[in-house]
Amino acid sequence: MIAIAHSFAITLYLGAAALAAAPFARPVPAPVRGVTTLLGLGVAAHLLALLDFVRTHGQAPVSGLGPALSLAALLVAVMLLGVELIAREVSLSLVAAPLSAALAAVANIAGLSPASMASGVQGAWLAAHVALSFLGIASFATGAAAGVMYMVERRELKARRFGAIFRFFPPLDTLDRVNHLACLAGGAALTLGVAIAVAYSVEFRTVNLPQILWGMAAWAALSVIALGRAIGGWQARRAAVVTATSFAAVVLLYVALRVTGAADGGFL
Amino acid sequence: MALTLVGVSHATADIDIRERLAHAPHEIPLTLAAVRDATGAREGVLLSTCNRTEIYLVEGERDATAGAWSALSRRLGRDASPYGYVRREREVVKHLFRVASGLDSMILGETQIQGQVRDAWQIGRAHASAALNRLFQSALLVAGRVRSETAIGHGAASVSSAAVQLAKKIFGSLQGRRAMILGAGEMAELALECLVAQGVRTAIVANRTYERATEMAARHGATALHYDECWSRLADVDVMLCSTAAPHAVVTSSHIAPTLAARGDRPLCILDISLPRDVDPAVGTLENVYLYDLDDLRQLVAATVDHRRGEVPSAERLIEEEVESYWSWLAGLAAVPVLTEFRARMDDVRDREVARLLRRLEHLPESDRETIEHFSRALMNKFMHEPSVRLRAAAANGRGLGIVDAVRYLFALEGERAADDTSVETDR
Repeated sequence: MIAIAHSFAITLYLGAAALAAAPFARPVPAPVRGVTTLLGLGVAAHLLALLDFVRTHGQAPVSGLGPALSLAALLVAVMLLGVELIAREVSLSLVAAPLSAALAAVANIAGLSPASMASGVQGAWLAAHVALSFLGIASFATGAAAGVMYMVERRELKARRFGAIFRFFPPLDTLDRVNHLACLAGGAALTLGVAIAVAYSVEFRTVNLPQILWGMAAWAALSVIALGRAIGGWQARRAAVVTATSFAAVVLLYVALRVTGAADGGFL
Repeated sequence: MALTLVGVSHATADIDIRERLAHAPHEIPLTLAAVRDATGAREGVLLSTCNRTEIYLVEGERDATAGAWSALSRRLGRDASPYGYVRREREVVKHLFRVASGLDSMILGETQIQGQVRDAWQIGRAHASAALNRLFQSALLVAGRVRSETAIGHGAASVSSAAVQLAKKIFGSLQGRRAMILGAGEMAELALECLVAQGVRTAIVANRTYERATEMAARHGATALHYDECWSRLADVDVMLCSTAAPHAVVTSSHIAPTLAARGDRPLCILDISLPRDVDPAVGTLENVYLYDLDDLRQLVAATVDHRRGEVPSAERLIEEEVESYWSWLAGLAAVPVLTEFRARMDDVRDREVARLLRRLEHLPESDRETIEHFSRALMNKFMHEPSVRLRAAAANGRGLGIVDAVRYLFALEGERAADDTSVETDR
């Protein structure tokens, strides 16, 4: 049941991305209702899979690589759906929906089985930390997706090319605002996640160095962007470039930590 | 019931002919009344825009085209028929659906025509009945479908709308943005009107002749500036529109670059609609500056028109579907009066025969007499049901007129040949 609902969600995410790309094949209006419906169904299927995981294993999907990645994928999809429903604009699905599908697919490959996890207050504390951290990363991913789209569209506008990207991407200003709001939301969630992690480490005297390194790197990147926007007057291209490159760096750091074996069997 | 269209459009007549045939709204009912009087047409609607004057008629007993042409010729002062066209039956339906959808417009896919078709119908309502009411309602629905299901109306199809589209692609809405207009000529004023219509909040007009800038600014609630002062205000501006008559570039990197630091990362959109160009192309390489000249705007318009052309086959398919649907309805309408008369005739026969029978059976109690009466009605309804259904279906699928005529002949229904439009429920 978990695997079936999960696979169903992946298919729906990819379907939403394909539908969002339809205007590139033929100049028809973006099918906002179709894309958000598919995305919504995908989120529902994904949620069903994770609820079944909780029922089966008696714990939240926050420990173990597969469950944690799946939760991250769900949060990215929920963020995406929220942004698209508010903005009535679905071109962000072109980047963020495949990202969700890829994370969920990797989760499927890694296996949706839980790692051992603390119980009671310690477990709840850990769950809150993981959920907030993933929310932060999902927002960061949304901001990075908007940043990538901003750079692509900017290049087309500077080069005076009026093709499919010109017609179907949202205005630069919209992408800049999505980037800004996503980074602010991500920064807030990740700050709380990091604070809880610090308190957790002190309280329960456990230290996971790769986790600290990766979490702090992501938090620092978001903090730099937030400060750059607030103090340095960053916006537009500069904000888009910094968000996209720093997110890519955070992803690369994660891959490096896993490849070098610095991480344990969990998410990190 | 014959649909006929007599008309003149941009495809067949020059503007000097079209402008003389164009009708003001208050003139339309008079022309329609005159045409209907002269031709005996049952219904009429006159569509008059700057690109076409068309009279849609449901003919009576005789051909209405000669009468319609003479009305147009009187207006033109000479024979109007060489400048126009006549359409009949299904072609009329198809033509109106194409017109309402913008497929027959000078600018392919333009949207204004849909409102003009609606206005024409509203003005001519007193002269329209079932057939034309349904035709115009269907045309508006088809136009809506074409616009929502294809991209025929997407994009900018004129230089001014292309300029606005480009600015919107950078800023989203132009509501509350600041614009600076360099130049105070006719093009500059048109562009300023476009920007103000889009909600641009603060507009600055700068011109070498300050008085002209002041006059233009006063007309549009903008602020006038001396030409040399405008550079200091550039840091606050989102859109800069250049339309001077200068023979060389008057905006160079040396004017723009110093203001960029003060602007931070805010984009600046420069629209150069003058020829020769006002803005040095090197300005476009500056960070956060988006520069477009007339060639770019025309390229955008051409791309839009190309995409719209690509949508025409899809639009035509939709129109063909809707023509079929309307035509089925219209053909079915022809069967209605025949069916009504057929039923009345049969009911008359039934009444007489039942009365004769009941006179012979006077001894029967009232309840039995009612049963016989009821039985006779039920029997007639059973007999009439299948022929009625088949007659309607045959009329609707195009084989109708011959069968309708056969029914008239077989049952001697010669009283009312024409469709009684007032007996048909319309969607009014």
